[in-house]
Amino acid sequence: MPLDTSTYALAHLRLDGRRWNELRHLHAQISTQASSDGSSYLEQGNTKILCTVSGPQEQRRNAPGGRQQQAGAGSDTEAQIVVEMNLAAFSSTDRKKRARSDKRVQEMQFTIAEAFRGTLFTNLYPHSTITITLHVLSQDGSLLTACLNAATLALVDAGIPMSDYVSAVTVASAPSSDQSLDEVDPLLDLNGLEEQELPFMTVGTTAAGTGEGVEGEAKIMVLVMETKVQMGRLEAMLSVGVDGCRRVRGLLDDVVRTQGRRVMENKIS
Amino acid sequence: MAPYTGIPLSPAELSYLHTSLAQIPPIRPDGRASTHFRPLIAETEVLPAANGSARICFADGTEAIVGVKAEVEQTRQAPASINGEKVDEGMLDLGGGGARDVKDDEMKVDGDGKKQQTGRGRDEWLEISIDVPGMRDDDALPMFLSAMLTEALLADGGLRDKLYINTRFHWRLYIDILLLSQPLSYPLPLLSLTTHLALLSTRLPALISEKDEDPLFNDDWEASTHLYLRDDQHQQQKPSVTLLVISVNDNILFDPSKEELAVADAVVAMSVTQSTDNSLKLIALRTVDPPSRLTAAGTPNALNTSAGAQSLGAAEVAAIREKDMGATVWRPPRGGLKRAVLAKMIKMVVEKNGVGEEVLAGLVGVEV
Repeated sequence: MPLDTSTYALAHLRLDGRRWNELRHLHAQISTQASSDGSSYLEQGNTKILCTVSGPQEQRRNAPGGRQQQAGAGSDTEAQIVVEMNLAAFSSTDRKKRARSDKRVQEMQFTIAEAFRGTLFTNLYPHSTITITLHVLSQDGSLLTACLNAATLALVDAGIPMSDYVSAVTVASAPSSDQSLDEVDPLLDLNGLEEQELPFMTVGTTAAGTGEGVEGEAKIMVLVMETKVQMGRLEAMLSVGVDGCRRVRGLLDDVVRTQGRRVMENKIS
Repeated sequence: MAPYTGIPLSPAELSYLHTSLAQIPPIRPDGRASTHFRPLIAETEVLPAANGSARICFADGTEAIVGVKAEVEQTRQAPASINGEKVDEGMLDLGGGGARDVKDDEMKVDGDGKKQQTGRGRDEWLEISIDVPGMRDDDALPMFLSAMLTEALLADGGLRDKLYINTRFHWRLYIDILLLSQPLSYPLPLLSLTTHLALLSTRLPALISEKDEDPLFNDDWEASTHLYLRDDQHQQQKPSVTLLVISVNDNILFDPSKEELAVADAVVAMSVTQSTDNSLKLIALRTVDPPSRLTAAGTPNALNTSAGAQSLGAAEVAAIREKDMGATVWRPPRGGLKRAVLAKMIKMVVEKNGVGEEVLAGLVGVEV
């Protein structure tokens, strides 16, 4: 599709039959692993992430060689957030065993840790570490997005106090044969093929605001763009992205509330 | 052997566990019978991008997921035979590249005039990697588990022969095992069962090309064939399953929990598979250093300075420790595994309607 721009212009349908503002099927479960403090499983299309959270706990022994030092705030006043991302060898179409010191992975780990440093109340747990382990079982685009969403759910399950969810989504700029800016729709929630071909960005927001939840003003916690796009299209992409994040936040909230209801029913009955 | 640390039990607790497990019949902490397995959740085909996959969660919260992927690879031509002997021994030296009993397997034909199927595979076509969170790949535990599982899967020779396409190409099978939770108890049976299920659900694309031409496969995934065929006609061997068995005095217990492992006198890992006449075959057996050897022994009163003992020199302490039988509450077990107990273990697993059959029958039920 991306290389053949006319297909999209004809029917305004993407390769998987979605329109420009439709999210992929998002399925998430919380509290999937009894043996960890917090856990979640999230599927966004074919991207499947399993996240476990342990902590806040005492600082473990120093990280073995090869792991980048997380640039956290001093641990006397705040908890340190450590993110470990583990891309399984069977996650992509080709089987590829990744080295621990993969730069791309390290950068994503850092981004995720920074995003949650802004929302978690780490000042309540000085001298401790919160470890977020992300297992990527299958990747088909929007990897950072799914990791952030899965980590949010797992942190909620672990009961770590936070100011709000961090929900994320990817947005791309659809190709167009002429360079006019008016008719071009930003595309929401990309799959693997689209990600490879189109310039895209990952947006992660909270809805922290006046306490009205979704109605409050969104704050952008994560904004990652590694490809080039025309300046004029940026604003449209960003607004679509922020709105997409709001919708994802609604879906994540539903998952949490369903689990909460289940827990309450078990306790009461 | 892989060290197993972090057993937070006091000598009194260890002694209590050991005594209850040594009763006849044994009293297990959760009240199970000696051949009773804990409930587990298993599902297959959880990964869309893999040829085969499975996920198993044990009752104690440990979880593992296995993905099997296959790639076509060009066969490295074996060096010419020297003096007519088979040069290719396979990685683990388990036999002449699979042709243990058959010498001229290339030339042999069976009644139908087709080439014999045995002995064409090579050990290096199978690659197993284990990922334990929080451990490096060259730590003791992942390496030991990987060696055990590789040995169990290659020992019967059946799997690697299925990977043969023609003389120039073969399938390379990558089995990636991901332990999703911390290794609370020895994860070998969990990983082995998950690998077994994943292999059962593995499908390979159907081959269209003939003989030695470049392999061409059917694009239709519905036409793909299972690696382990299901129909009754074939009665193929199933992949092996490794069970962990412990012995306490003369009692034999299956599916040990973490506490039971901590007091076991001997721990054995047994790999069994179902052979063509539906009976079970033991294909690999390994003893595992029992974690009980790493437990802290109780202190006899003669050495306990707070109970009024004098402080003694090192040689005297060692002498007292050697002969502290009955003077302490708990002492790590010494000595090895009795042959009679080992024979009984093997019999319990392999016999008709024994534990091995029960486990394999239970796993068959997971397959759709």
